[in-house]
Amino acid sequence: MTVIEARNLGKVYSGKAAVEDLSFEVQPGSVTGFLGPNGAGKSTTMRLMLGLDHGAGRTTFDGVPFTSLDRPMTHVGALLEAKPFHPTRKARNHLRMLAAANGIAASRVDEVLEQLGLTAVARKKPRTFSLGMGQRLGLAAALLGDPSTLILDEPANGLDPQGIQWIRELLKGFAATGRSVFVSSHLLSEMALMADQLVVIGRGRLIASGPIEDFVRTSARNAVIVRSPQATELADVLRREAAVVEAVQPGVVSVTGLDAARIGDLAFEHRIRLHELANRVATLEEAFLEATQGAEEYQAHQLDEGGRA
Amino acid sequence: MTAALRYEWVRIRTIRSTIWLSVIALVFGVGLSFLIAMGTYFSFRSSQPPRGSDLDGFGPGVATQFAALGAPYFVAYILAMIGVFAWGHEYRHGMIRATLTTLSSRTSAWVAKFLVVGAWVLVVAAVTMLGSVLVGVLWLHGYPVRLMTSATGAAIVRTLVYTLLLTWVAAAFTALTRNQTAALVLLFLWPLAVENVVTLVFTLVPALRPHSDLTRFLPFNAGSRIVNQFDKAHSVFGQPLSLVGALVIFGALTSVGMAASLTLFHRRDA
Repeated sequence: MTVIEARNLGKVYSGKAAVEDLSFEVQPGSVTGFLGPNGAGKSTTMRLMLGLDHGAGRTTFDGVPFTSLDRPMTHVGALLEAKPFHPTRKARNHLRMLAAANGIAASRVDEVLEQLGLTAVARKKPRTFSLGMGQRLGLAAALLGDPSTLILDEPANGLDPQGIQWIRELLKGFAATGRSVFVSSHLLSEMALMADQLVVIGRGRLIASGPIEDFVRTSARNAVIVRSPQATELADVLRREAAVVEAVQPGVVSVTGLDAARIGDLAFEHRIRLHELANRVATLEEAFLEATQGAEEYQAHQLDEGGRA
Repeated sequence: MTAALRYEWVRIRTIRSTIWLSVIALVFGVGLSFLIAMGTYFSFRSSQPPRGSDLDGFGPGVATQFAALGAPYFVAYILAMIGVFAWGHEYRHGMIRATLTTLSSRTSAWVAKFLVVGAWVLVVAAVTMLGSVLVGVLWLHGYPVRLMTSATGAAIVRTLVYTLLLTWVAAAFTALTRNQTAALVLLFLWPLAVENVVTLVFTLVPALRPHSDLTRFLPFNAGSRIVNQFDKAHSVFGQPLSLVGALVIFGALTSVGMAASLTLFHRRDA
């Protein structure tokens, strides 16, 4: 089962670093989500990993660079483009062409077409395909060689909710067989359901990598919500214990820096009545936005009252 | 390398432009020869046919739609577009990334593309020329015209070499520009406009007129001499160029274009 090791990846466009000294690992048996704001360098990183772009650093798949792999599709399945095919080459012919280069039997072409729900359009030209259908054909190509690793750039783009659920199950099932999945997506809620590990980048540099739970746990948005008729009095007590207390609404405060048990004990010791004491866990989106704050390459601004940007 | 050849072989056969360009080349070439042979047949019927020796150049002419006698060989330009599309589709439709994640060796991908496209156009051009000779034979079999002669064979071989080189030049242009529209413009504009304008300038400007023979070194001008058997050359690089001189000049353009395209194919991001 394949371990992907990316070491010191770097890429400069016109004097500007798109990816800078980026290192991470993708372990087999896991879905590793690749997150970053627009322009963070995710697609460039994936192209560097596959030897499509030239730059600094080295990526190996079980110690072997992609460009040295024999029959590469049987090792690494990649989806990098929204519609990576010629619009008038029939879907089945597109896969036959890829299969021919990798010694893959024609029966496998029909198998993946069936698996991806494309049998009915196998002999149709993909120019009529929707974005979602195009993504399915791209995924069929990635899965064609029954590879031990998948590298997918925004595979859920254009898919309907059923398609998104399907791809989630597909990738989780793929990883469950001990194989590696490295997938980028803007759909953070989807990533939260799908990924076990995360690699987060901003402006081409590594921000975080590791288990998704650890990443979310570091968020300042993890808090304990306390509802009390003596909220002001409780806030004073908690602040003396170095907690950060914010008023959420009258009678409700959000507390960070102390866990729920300690807050309960302190309230009890100071004879403060509590109506609610609940942990609030940050979402992946909150943790991501917090981690990448200021690392956006392209920043939008709120409209003013007159509707002007 | 075998993997890349298999990939290219399926690629070239599963794209419609390959088929319609091949059919157009075949219909245009054989059709034109059909009309030439038919016109000759009716001319012979209405008047006394010339003697056999006066028709020695007729076989090469019919086979190559008179390119062997100095006319441009349009079939080669039609087939060269297959070379343009071989690389153009890679960049126009983002296929290059799919190709390079399927093959991984850039050299193999590059070599296979040139070899398969070259083999394809050679076969289509050969069929077109043999078909052209066949329609000539069918129309003129009752007359003392020998179409399948050694001169016809030589014309076919020379025309095949020219077609192959032109296709490779076109493919190299496209790989260099990574834009099939630009490559198509270059393929037609350079020989049809640029070289003709340069020749015209040498003819019209009095100071250049004594040097107008130099235009024989213009690469596409030189390329046409590979096919042309009509004007006999007296030395390799004299006026007109010999077959060897033409091959050296047009072959040099092809080689430089291909070498540059391979170098940049390795250096550039996909």
